[in-house]
Amino acid sequence: MAKEITDTARATPTATLSARDMAPKLTKLQKIGNSKYLGLILLAPAGVFVLLFFFIPVLLTGVFGFTNMSTATGITGGSYLANQSSMQALGDRHGFGELADQINQIAYTIDDVGLEAAAQDGVDADTLKELNTKFAGTSFDNRRDMERAIKNLDARPPNTRAVKALAKHFERSIINIRFESRQELLAAINEIGVTLTPDQQAAVIEVTYTGWVFSTDNFKRMISLPDTKKTLINTLFYVFTTLILFNVGFALVLAISTHYMDAGPSGFFRSVWLLPRITPPVLYVLMWKWLAWDTGFISAILGPFGVEPKNWLLDSPANAWTFIILINGMVGASMGMLIFSSAIKAIPKPLFYASEVDGATRAQQIRHIILPQLRFPILFITSYQTLSLMTSFEYILLATEGGPGGSTEVWALSTYFKALNNYAGALEYGYGAALALVLVIVGVVLSILYLKLFDFKTLTAPPKIE
Amino acid sequence: MTGNYRKWPIILALGILTAPIILMYFYLFLDTVTNAPPGSLVPDEFTTEHWRFLWQTIPGRPSIWLATWNTLLFASITTLIVLVVSSAAGYALSRLNMPFRAFFLGGVMVLHAFPTVTLLIAIFLILQMLGLYNTLFGVIMVKASLELPFGIWIMKGFYDTVPWEIEMAGIQDGATRFQVWTKLVLPNVKPAILALGIFSFLAGWSEFILPLVLAPDNKVQVLSVYLAALIADDNNFDMALFKSVGVFYVIPVIILFVFFQNRLMNIYSGGTKG
Repeated sequence: MAKEITDTARATPTATLSARDMAPKLTKLQKIGNSKYLGLILLAPAGVFVLLFFFIPVLLTGVFGFTNMSTATGITGGSYLANQSSMQALGDRHGFGELADQINQIAYTIDDVGLEAAAQDGVDADTLKELNTKFAGTSFDNRRDMERAIKNLDARPPNTRAVKALAKHFERSIINIRFESRQELLAAINEIGVTLTPDQQAAVIEVTYTGWVFSTDNFKRMISLPDTKKTLINTLFYVFTTLILFNVGFALVLAISTHYMDAGPSGFFRSVWLLPRITPPVLYVLMWKWLAWDTGFISAILGPFGVEPKNWLLDSPANAWTFIILINGMVGASMGMLIFSSAIKAIPKPLFYASEVDGATRAQQIRHIILPQLRFPILFITSYQTLSLMTSFEYILLATEGGPGGSTEVWALSTYFKALNNYAGALEYGYGAALALVLVIVGVVLSILYLKLFDFKTLTAPPKIE
Repeated sequence: MTGNYRKWPIILALGILTAPIILMYFYLFLDTVTNAPPGSLVPDEFTTEHWRFLWQTIPGRPSIWLATWNTLLFASITTLIVLVVSSAAGYALSRLNMPFRAFFLGGVMVLHAFPTVTLLIAIFLILQMLGLYNTLFGVIMVKASLELPFGIWIMKGFYDTVPWEIEMAGIQDGATRFQVWTKLVLPNVKPAILALGIFSFLAGWSEFILPLVLAPDNKVQVLSVYLAALIADDNNFDMALFKSVGVFYVIPVIILFVFFQNRLMNIYSGGTKG
């Protein structure tokens, strides 16, 4: 009997298929209007949107996942900057410690820029003239040599302080100066009297570059961090508990119990259970916060029984999880309810009458008539909602922000926190993208798998509005 | 069909399970116009003070009317784009004999199931690079694109139910395929366009994550972000105010829900979010 029902249910798509098969016949018949081009033109706008905000983001998530992009590196190009930390890295990572010291040190060069600056500062013209003729283009490695040279001039400055001030004008250092290109940086290093081998050049360019670079560090980090494992366990717990208890379990309860009611109450319950889904998430979670707040409903109800008022949403991981699952589950249950209800509605009524005549109890009806018919919709809801639960974090973000102490932080939420919002303000786009990439891959694989597993056409059957 | 069974125990049991939702909504509305003594759930006075945000701007926040206007722009332009683009693409996929049709169909189905929120970081960076970060235009384009696969899929389903005879008659009378689409087929799927339009509008009106990440600035803030920022501000804790802003925010949703409940139920079972 059950098999027969399945067959009739499957018959509908074949009917539409045969209608579609008439298309080629039609075009052969008429050849008016080239439907080939019209089709592509009509699809083009959708194609542009999909390209811009699906394909390119998917590709870029892959690319960004292999970079160290962050707020520190910026998202476009970077510049070249030799500073304490990059010179440290030059020594540590490349073993050019000596070179780092050389670059780090301050050198003195007698050049036009320095002379001009000194003249502006009011230094005696004769001093500068002599300095120019004797030392133009000369470099000194340290301050002492420079000052000695000045002191030995015939027209030397009147006192030590003036000597020091004059020396200052010829101080040349590349430390903490931003260079827009690597050529500028290398030229500047050359100017302070340091000559680089090609190896050293590459090392200096690498350590001083402030923009993002490609690396696989994100994935090494992801594997090594204990947080990753915890987030993964949280995600699995969250997805499967919500799915089993609510998106499938409670949805079945709703669909079957409303099936056994008259039109009035069943319509009422279905509408009420649709409310969480249509209520904007921010407001929906606000209502839960009111329920759980220390001045909210639960505290007010339990107050007379001597229970201390507290924030039930965030006081312990167990309570936080209870609320997270309730909040998500009540939204998720409605989709299953609608799909299961319409599947039950498709069961021929005589089946129920006959079973009642035969003395079947309600439990037997559910077990032998309703549930076999729901096997396919249950499979669909399970797969579809696994994917959407796994990647959704909106409600958790609004309710607990992953707290208390990160105990309700799921994968999608930690992606968001790493890359788009955290307290420190140092957003790690690269690492976040690497985390998201894991979800993207799971998403792509599962959606293709579902496409193969189900004939989506029978499942998302055109809504019968009229 | 079920005349042999008692119904009231089920109604009672489900009623108890449903009570929390009803309770939350009841107090949502009640608390916006009343005050209750501390620790009590029974209000003792009527007040309009919680609605003061309508005529005076809350310090540090944009005007509620600016946020409402932004939300309206965001939701309606998104809807418009989704309707125009997906009614064209849906028709092409449903009816027109074109190259790679199967490929496009499969693509739409994969995208329909694909979790878009995973693309958020890349989209954020793309908008930054394009200079569209913190603009309504940018976030509208993103929202519309992410709604499209669902819209195309729904529209294709509706076009599939339109009888071919209508089109054949049109072609016979000398109309082009394009004319057939605009003059004969589109009027036949008006209910679908209405349903998809309402659905998209509600989706836009409720959207939170995209505007939060892509356009959080005060000037372009939408109501969802406005309300979330208000709640997150620890210095001004005022549950009744939050609820009033929330009710203000949810009114259009409730109106649309009451009038178009059945159409929405059908489209929701087509399945979008978890």
